[in-house]
Amino acid sequence: MKEGQVWETRPLEFWAKAKELRASWQASAGDEARVVGQGSTYSVDWAECFPALNVVEDNPGGSMIQAKDSPFARKCRLASEIRGWGREICGYTNNLWGSMFLGYEQDGRPFPLRQFVIPMGAECDQHTKRGQQCRDFSPVPQWMEDHCIYFGEDDPERDVPIIEHNDYCQLRQINDIERIFGQKFNDEKLSDMIKASEIIVEYARDIQVLIGTTKPAPLSAKDLYSVYTIGHLTKVDPQETVNFWKMVRDEVEWRAKNHIAALGTERFRWIEAHPPSWHFLKYYRYMEKYGAVCVGSQYLQQNCELLEYKPDGGIDRRAAPKYPADTPIKTREDAIRVMVGPDARTPRAWKSDEYIRRDSIVEFAKIMQADGALLPLWRSGVGCTLTRKEQAMRLRNELGLSVIYYEGSQPGDRTDLDELRFLDHLDTWMESLGFEKLED
Amino acid sequence: MITAGIDIGVEHIKVIILKDRQIAGRAKGSSGGADRGGMVEQAYQAALRDAGATRADVVKIAATGKGKHNAAIADVLISEQVAAAKAARFLYPGATCVVSAGADEIMAAVLGEKNRINEYTFNQKCAAGLGLFLESMARRLGMSLEDMSRLGAPKEAAVNEGCVVMAELDALSLLNHGVSREEVGGAVISAAAVRAASVIHDITKPAKDCVVLVGGLARNAAFVRALKAISGIEFLIPGEAEYAGALGAALPVAETA
Repeated sequence: MKEGQVWETRPLEFWAKAKELRASWQASAGDEARVVGQGSTYSVDWAECFPALNVVEDNPGGSMIQAKDSPFARKCRLASEIRGWGREICGYTNNLWGSMFLGYEQDGRPFPLRQFVIPMGAECDQHTKRGQQCRDFSPVPQWMEDHCIYFGEDDPERDVPIIEHNDYCQLRQINDIERIFGQKFNDEKLSDMIKASEIIVEYARDIQVLIGTTKPAPLSAKDLYSVYTIGHLTKVDPQETVNFWKMVRDEVEWRAKNHIAALGTERFRWIEAHPPSWHFLKYYRYMEKYGAVCVGSQYLQQNCELLEYKPDGGIDRRAAPKYPADTPIKTREDAIRVMVGPDARTPRAWKSDEYIRRDSIVEFAKIMQADGALLPLWRSGVGCTLTRKEQAMRLRNELGLSVIYYEGSQPGDRTDLDELRFLDHLDTWMESLGFEKLED
Repeated sequence: MITAGIDIGVEHIKVIILKDRQIAGRAKGSSGGADRGGMVEQAYQAALRDAGATRADVVKIAATGKGKHNAAIADVLISEQVAAAKAARFLYPGATCVVSAGADEIMAAVLGEKNRINEYTFNQKCAAGLGLFLESMARRLGMSLEDMSRLGAPKEAAVNEGCVVMAELDALSLLNHGVSREEVGGAVISAAAVRAASVIHDITKPAKDCVVLVGGLARNAAFVRALKAISGIEFLIPGEAEYAGALGAALPVAETA
């Protein structure tokens, strides 16, 4: 037993399966026989339904470049910077653009130039430029996907034309790709993916409830980050993805029931707001030396969409406009309509709605039974720092939590992250709360 | 019982020798750049001489400051914020807040019960408003830090307070336009104070009373005057302001040794 260890901890059994799925995706990503497209992270969930289409996305592509090969990432950003793109541009985007400008990927293979692009109007600042630069570089056709949303109170009358337009954008892209590139779209697979997504969301919700309501936490954010892209960003087989997330949910449930901890020395639980610096994940393990475990972030768990904290202290599913689970999907239009959903305010989440974000972190902290929060001050991308200070004030004033910041360029850009300074501040944070390292 | 605290900053090393929780000796030296280890040893020896103690008399040594990892002789490492908080409460038991203004960092912390820190914040990674900036600008203006310390508030001139490079360019531009170096120096001091005040106001509830100011910049009278004017805070400045980090490091080891 380690010093300070209170609970039993065990390796995760779903780990081997996660690695297998990841390897399978990695192998498929290298298929050069495909038509290559560029999309944004959240807009092209239907892309897998084109069997011979390969979508090269800035995320996770750009974040993987930084995580796996820092010197290459620096080279990419320089290639982008000398073309006039500054550090206020998202690091993911700069990394992938740089790779495109250089003409090769981190493993030396030629960069897969796109044959079309679909940028999306993300709230995440400059992402609309993602497609623009790729389009101009190749040059290739561009479809602009509108992603209309609005803030404020629900307005059903306003929803109707917005949703119609969102549906239309998706349909137009699919139909045009079929027509222009001679690709056959698999409508049956889209239907399967939509159904799978519904099931996976329920598993994700269960996992979040189990982490939040159980002390010690059966799974840490560090663990969840290792697998959270499986099925969404990596787009593996729908049924296999459902099976995997059931495996994760079942294991987490068993661990919670048997008090198997993610961290056997847990004595401090903290939350985050946005993605960590992908090249510097060691700070999670560093905090573990103090018996401190990260139980999640709004980015990772997207709590606003999933859970609601009730005044009596209970946790419930968040009520949100949604089509019934048995809504028939007979045509492509039906499928798109269900995929887009009936709520034009969607995603009513941490990222899209700056007003909700300030409230939601307080709710998230309650759900996760957090003792503190570590918030990043990113200079660009992934929501930037907008509302970050307000979030801290709400956490301090309303819940009395201890909150600290760290600053950097963006999770995919290590340029401005002072790693030693960051660790120093973690020491200070823990020392100021009276904790000493349990191990060194 | 004798304990020692060593504060290894980016510019200076400060050492305090405590005997039965009272200051028995002190010494200060240059940080030494790449040879921090050697300079730590020199400063430590000087402090021992000042205290009339020998190496064998010292029960425990604690190090703090950005260069604390270079102190091979230290038994314990203590973070700068915790050291500043310990010193503030030791020197002023009623202190509710401590502001540490040094060469490379400005930190403000709200003190709670049992010497805990309820909240703290620090400057973002830019030298604007910091000791290093003032030193650099003093050289630019052909003045010493002591000269800078005697400057009054500028009449009209202002320089950028958000970026040290821009501030320097602003200062040079003012000089090129015939503005006196004293006026430019005053503008530089004022900009540094604005930046420091922004850190203080970044904590949720900045205290207005019992705020202790420590660190090298606490010795710069012009900076302190400007910071008081901007923040509205009447700071408590101890005679040991520059040695507060070293003192704060020595105190906890004196309690546990």
